[in-house]
Order: sequence, then structure tokens, then C-alpha cells
Amino acid sequence: MSTQAELEKLVKADYAAGFTTDVESDTLPPGLNEDVIRFISAKKGEPQWLLDWRLEAYRKWQDMPHPNWAHIQHPPIDYNAVSYYSAPKSMADGPKSLDEVDPELLRTYEKLGIPLHEQEMLAGVQNPTAPVTGSSNVAVDAVFDSVSVGTTFKAKLKEAGVIFCSISEAVKDYPQLVKKYLGSVVPQGDNFYAALNSAVFSDGSFVYIPKGVRCPMELSTYFRINEANTGQFERTLIVADEGSHVSYLEGCTAPMRDENQLHAAVVELVALPGAEIKYSTVQNWYPGDEEGRGGIYNFVTKRGVCHDNAKISWTQVETGSAITWKYPSVVLRGDNSIGEFYSVALTRYKQQADTGTKMIHLGKNTKSTIISKGISAGRSQNAYRGLVRISPRADNARNFTQCDSLLLGDTCGAHTFPYIESRNPSATLEHEATTSKVSDDQLFLCRQRGIDTEKAVSMIVNGFCKEVFKELPMEFAVEAGKLLEVSLEGAVG
Amino acid sequence: MVVHAAELKQAAIQGLTHVTGADGLADFRAHARDTLAAVAFPDRKTEDWKYTSLKALEKDHVRVLAASTDTPALPDLGGTQVVLVNGQIPDLDSLALPAGVIAQPLSSHQDKATTDMVGPFTALNGAALSDGLLLSITAGADVDGLIHIVHVASGTQAASAHPRLVIEVGSNARVTLVEHYIGSSPILTNAVTRIDAHCNSQVTHYRLQSEGSEARHIGLLEFELARDARVTSFQFMQGCALRRNDVHAVMAESGSDLRMKGIFLARGKSHIDNHVCVEHRVPNCESDQVYKGIAGEHGRAVFNGRIHIHDGASGTNAELSNKNLLLSNTAEIDTKPELEIYNDDVKCAHGTTVGQMDATQLFYLRSRGISEIDAKRMLGTGFVNELLLAIPDDAVQAWVTPWLADALTEGL
Repeated sequence: MSTQAELEKLVKADYAAGFTTDVESDTLPPGLNEDVIRFISAKKGEPQWLLDWRLEAYRKWQDMPHPNWAHIQHPPIDYNAVSYYSAPKSMADGPKSLDEVDPELLRTYEKLGIPLHEQEMLAGVQNPTAPVTGSSNVAVDAVFDSVSVGTTFKAKLKEAGVIFCSISEAVKDYPQLVKKYLGSVVPQGDNFYAALNSAVFSDGSFVYIPKGVRCPMELSTYFRINEANTGQFERTLIVADEGSHVSYLEGCTAPMRDENQLHAAVVELVALPGAEIKYSTVQNWYPGDEEGRGGIYNFVTKRGVCHDNAKISWTQVETGSAITWKYPSVVLRGDNSIGEFYSVALTRYKQQADTGTKMIHLGKNTKSTIISKGISAGRSQNAYRGLVRISPRADNARNFTQCDSLLLGDTCGAHTFPYIESRNPSATLEHEATTSKVSDDQLFLCRQRGIDTEKAVSMIVNGFCKEVFKELPMEFAVEAGKLLEVSLEGAVG
Repeated sequence: MVVHAAELKQAAIQGLTHVTGADGLADFRAHARDTLAAVAFPDRKTEDWKYTSLKALEKDHVRVLAASTDTPALPDLGGTQVVLVNGQIPDLDSLALPAGVIAQPLSSHQDKATTDMVGPFTALNGAALSDGLLLSITAGADVDGLIHIVHVASGTQAASAHPRLVIEVGSNARVTLVEHYIGSSPILTNAVTRIDAHCNSQVTHYRLQSEGSEARHIGLLEFELARDARVTSFQFMQGCALRRNDVHAVMAESGSDLRMKGIFLARGKSHIDNHVCVEHRVPNCESDQVYKGIAGEHGRAVFNGRIHIHDGASGTNAELSNKNLLLSNTAEIDTKPELEIYNDDVKCAHGTTVGQMDATQLFYLRSRGISEIDAKRMLGTGFVNELLLAIPDDAVQAWVTPWLADALTEGL
């Protein structure tokens, strides 16, 4: 068997999305000041209120200290060395349809396995009234550096009343909705990175599901950083009106580069009474190389608000980024609302992850579930940081938290920092955490049955993550499993 | 709050001017004073003090108290009693200590006064220290009976006492120690205790904190375990106006074994904050912690249990369990079990729960004619009973049981 050769090939090909795309782009010189913000705002033809909103955020940001509480280490970031706007040049006039999009861009997404072309995909939906099944039924919004390059299935979604477009379009077409909800969950001054994002956010997706509508297909945004020295600051806003339902997927990749690039996103979810939002992420930003050179600094604020009887479910698979700083949270404001958080975070090389969730129980009979699986390999550090807060009003609130860590190798670290605050005697909270390595017994069992070590470890790790993967939409679950496998190649000694 | 913390610190430094005492500690005191000047007093922004504010402390509370000659009623647990009133060490020559125990003033061994952890209050203790107590258990001694160290807080006005206790348990020695804090005075007891367990020694340690509701207590307890040392520590703690306990245990050599069991109660308007950290620095050590907390009325109970496993500490087995009972929706429990692990060959787990008295269990007892108060007391006792029953010394158990029953029924 040529296992050695195959292995080497796999190890070298470990970050398959690490190519760059040669498109001419319109990039702002590095630096951050009010003029940059005015430039971004003008470039997008934004109304005055939004510019004011951005400037207010910028002023708040200037007074904020850089957060240093997370279990991560990095050299100080020079926010003036980052370019805050980059768009492929051919986008300057705005394409009327996907046909006008630079074919080079489309090829990029094709390489990444994201079919943007509606036509190809429509082949799968000959009978639009039939129940939606299969992988071809995903509407995609693709964000390339600072701008959205195209959104598929728009027309079909419009039939159902669903609005799915880039946030820049939403500002133009649905200003009332945007004005009402933008910043309602994550206000401008929420934290350092959210303030930065509020000031300079360039694009992102906007989703509105009207009352009682079940979104007919999965919605998806694909983020890609291409240009060097740029930061990506996207903002996603999803509003699910009463009794509606939506499942949303998010994927991210970036080229391999030696310098660190900044990604500071904000995601806001609003689940009005009885609505349900399922938000899944497969985050595969470039993690840096074995020596810790390069990689994305991923500082993300994600939060959702649940009104009465609403439900928000976060599922995330985090395998990329040099640094992950991310705490998707749910504010359970309404009675009987439900929050869920399922996470797999894999770190290797010198990656650092400090990720977890916050569940803020405000309403009565609110429930939350947290399942977090951390896998550390190489010289990486992987931390779970979570908060469960039960307010005095939250009668009969219920939380279950489980965070397990798996250590592969003796030079990595796994940490757990759960904050549990209860102020209601009728609430029940449970938290448990374990840390272990891949058990020798399990390995032996697999080896004995002729499964090589690498494959066996991969199987065991997959089993370890099963609880989370089963929460992912099917296409994503397969992708996540494969991603994990590839990420683990060579990590097992 | 930041202003308050800074003012307290200023008052603490000014209050030190008249501190004198045994000369052997002069350098130590000066060093502690420098440290105190360099560190900030905690406010709400200080992560370790997130849930505990110093607002229960007035500026007077950091004023160092002059010696007191009060002799209050002391609990009797049998064994040898060593009494420290307001942190002042007793006349050591007149103590009748069992064979194998030597008591010395800390001023005769300045080098042994240092601690691993140095926070603002530890530094204040050092700077304000008139003298500490050094108890040495000679190697191989099997000490008879309990050594009952009673710390009495006495006085009617806000002030502070700074007891410092260092206990060295020699190789192969065996000893049972009780640290007992009593008194109904409003003074601040800022205590530092360090226990060094040498090779193959065996230490049973009790910490009983039953000061009155007006008391303020900030304490640091340090353990260091040498090769094959075994330490079992029982901690029974009642909340008061401000109680903050830092426990820091270091597994310094292989084969050591640490068990800690604690019960903490925050009833009425009391506050209790426990910060427990167990550090595994070397391979093949075991630690097991079980803490149970109860908060009722307007009480607030905080628990922070941290297990830190260094990269060389393979073969570690560490566990932590923290279960809490919340009795009222004006009370609060904040718990944070932390794991920080830098080695793959370990078995580590922690579990935490916060819940209430089970309504069905309560109904069961009520349906059998048991009054609500009795039923609640029974369930409360049942919740902590496994820890009570684990107490190996009858005298201590006999003291803890009624104390706990009182504390449980308070306010019911």
C-alpha cells in the first residue's frame, strides 16, 4: 500500500481552500478614520441615518479598551494597517444578474464547491410545489471580500414572501425593516469588535421570513476573504416573524497567507413569537501553518433574541482560524422560548479557540441546551467559555450543559470556563464537563479489526462529535465530517 | 466601586503606620508593604472578584486592631486548644502541646512566612502582621488528638485582625488540625493559613467558620503536598456580611492525594465566595473535591472551582463536584467550575448543578404529617449528609451537625 505517499499528499493538501483568485479589485488603502467610514457608506449609497449610526459606533469604539480576558494570545493588532473595504472591480457597477458576474469569481465559488448558478440548480426542482428535498435546494448569498457577489433563488424565495438579499440591498429596498432591527440585538457599543463592525461593516446577508411562512429552502451565505491586508466585516441580520421557520447555513474560507487577517462579524437573529431559527456554521478560515504563521483572527459576535414560544438553535463546526473568539448567544426573553447551542471546535497547529455560548434566561419556562465538543491537537489551545444566567423572573427555567474535550497529543491544551448564575429557586441547571484522550482500549479494538490508527482515530473523533453533527443539515453534516477528517490528517502521531 | 477600592487601599496603607512587632519579621513586612502598594484592590471589574464587592468594608475595617485581652467562651472539641484573639498569637511557652508538635513564633523563621499566592489582602496581612504562629509536626510523629486552633474575632467596632498560621507536617507524620473561626464582632478577619505536607505525611484538616452575621472574613488557605502526602480537608462555612475564601492547593510531588469536601451556606443577607484552585504540577497525583452550597433569603453564594493541570502532569486524576440548592428567588448562586488542562494523559471531570428542593419529596414528607419546616430541614440535611457522614472525627461531627441544622432552619 502506498499509505505513506497518500498521507503526505493529504497532509500537504490539508487546506484545500487556500488558493487566491486573480480578480482586479477596488481596495481602500489601509487605515481607519471617519473618512473611511464615510467612503464605505457613500460607496454603498447609504441613507444618512445609517452613516450616523456607523459614526456613532466608531466614536464608541475609539473609547473602548481592547478586550484581553479571553484565553488567547496574539500580538497587538494595528487597526490602521487593515484595509476596510475591498471589492472585486467588476462589481463596481453592480451586476444585474449572475450572468454579469466576473466568471473568475464564479470559478472561485465553483472550486469551493458552492454552485452559484441558479440554472444548474433549478434542474433539481422541476416541480416547485413538491416538498423540498435534496442538496440542490439551497439558496446561496456569496460574499467576496467586502461585497455580496450574488444571491441565488431570489425569485423563488420572493414567491414565498421571503426576503433574502445582501444587507446593502436591504438597506435600499427595505429600509424600514433594517432600521427597526439593525442593532436591536447587538447594539453598536456592545463590545469592542461589535463596535468596530458596526462602524465599518461592508456587507452580509439579510433575511426576513414573513408571518407563518416556512422558508421553502435552506438559506446559505458563503464568505470568502481573497484580498491581502484586508479585513472582512460582514453583518448578518435575520428576522423571523411570528410563527415562521428558517434554516440558515454559513460557510467561510480564505487563502493561505503569511500575515494574519482580521475578520470581525456580527450576526443578529430576531425570533418573534413562535418563530424558529436554525443557524448553522461551518467555519474553515485559513488556520495558519504549523508554526502558527498566518491565519485569520476571527472575532465574531453572534446573538439572537427569542420572543414567546420562539426557538433559536446555533450549530457550529469550527475548524479554521488562527484565533477564534466567538460566543453565539441566545437571549430567552419570551416565555417558553428555547435556546440551543451545539458546537464542535477543532484546533491544531498553533490555533487558539476561545468559544462557547451565553444563554440568558429572562422568560418563564425557558429551556436551553448546550453541547460543546472541543478537540485539541498539535500545540493548540481550545477553550470553552459559557454563561448561563437565570433571572429572578425565569420561573421553571431549565438548562443542561455538557462540554467534553478530547486531547490528541501532550502539547495541546483544553480548558473550560463556564459561568453559571442562578437567581430563581425553581430553575434547574446542570453542567458537566470531561476531559480525556482517545482511549487506548477503543484504539486497540479498531486496530485489532484491521483499521489503521489514523482511520481509527478519525472514527473515534467522529463518534465523539456525533451529537453535534446530527444537528447539522444533511449536506453540511457530510462536509463537516470530511473537514474534520482532513483536519486530523497527520495530527495523530 | 473603583473609587471605593482605591480609597480602601489608601486607608489600609495609612493604617499600617503604627504596626510594630517582633523584629524578625521586619524585612517580610517591608516587602509585603511594597507589594500592597503595587497591587490594586479588587473592584467589580476584577475577574476574580466579579461576584463579590468590597462594599461591606468601610475604611475602618482595614484599620489594624490593637491586641485584645478578651477571653470569650470557646467551643470544646477535646484535644489541644490554641487560641488566637484578633490574630494575636498566645503565649507559646504556656501551651501544653502533645508530643511531636512544636509551636514557634513565625518571627523566628521569617523565610517560612511566604505564600505562593499574593493578592492585595495577603499582602495586607503580611504588612500588618505583628507575629504569626508556626506549628511544626516532627517527622514520623503520630499526633494524639486534635489540634484545635481557635481564631476569635473580638471587638465592637470596625477594625481588622490579621492572623497568619504556618503548619509544617514532617515526613511520615500524622496529624488532625481544626481551624475554627468564631466571634460575633463586626471586625474584618484577614487570615492566611499555609499547610505544608511533607513526604508521606497524612493530614486531616477542618475549617469551621461560624462567625456571626456581622463578621467580615477574607481568607487564604494554601496546601502544598510533597511525595505521597495525603491531605483531607473539610470546610464548613457560613456566610456573613462578607466572606471570601481562597483555597489554593499545589500537588508539588508525585503520588500525592488531596480530598476536599465543603459545605457553604448563605442565608439571610449573607455573602459567601469560595475560590478553590487545585494545581497539578507533577505526574500521578489525585484530587477530588466535593462542595455543596445552599443559598436562601437574600443570600449570595459564589463558587469558583478551578483545576489546573500543567503540561508535565500526566496520569492525573482530578474531579470536582459542586451541587447547589437555591431556596429563594431573592437569593443567588454563581458557580464557575474551571478546567485548564495542558496534558492529554489525564482524567478530569467536573459537574455542577443548581436546583431547588424537590416538590415531590416535600409532598411525600408532608403527606406523612411532617411539618413543612421539618420536611425542609430533613431535605436540606439529606442534601449535605454525605459530607457530614464522611467526617472521621466524632467530636467535630458532633459540633457540625447541630450547627448545620440551625443554619438550615434559620429563616424557615
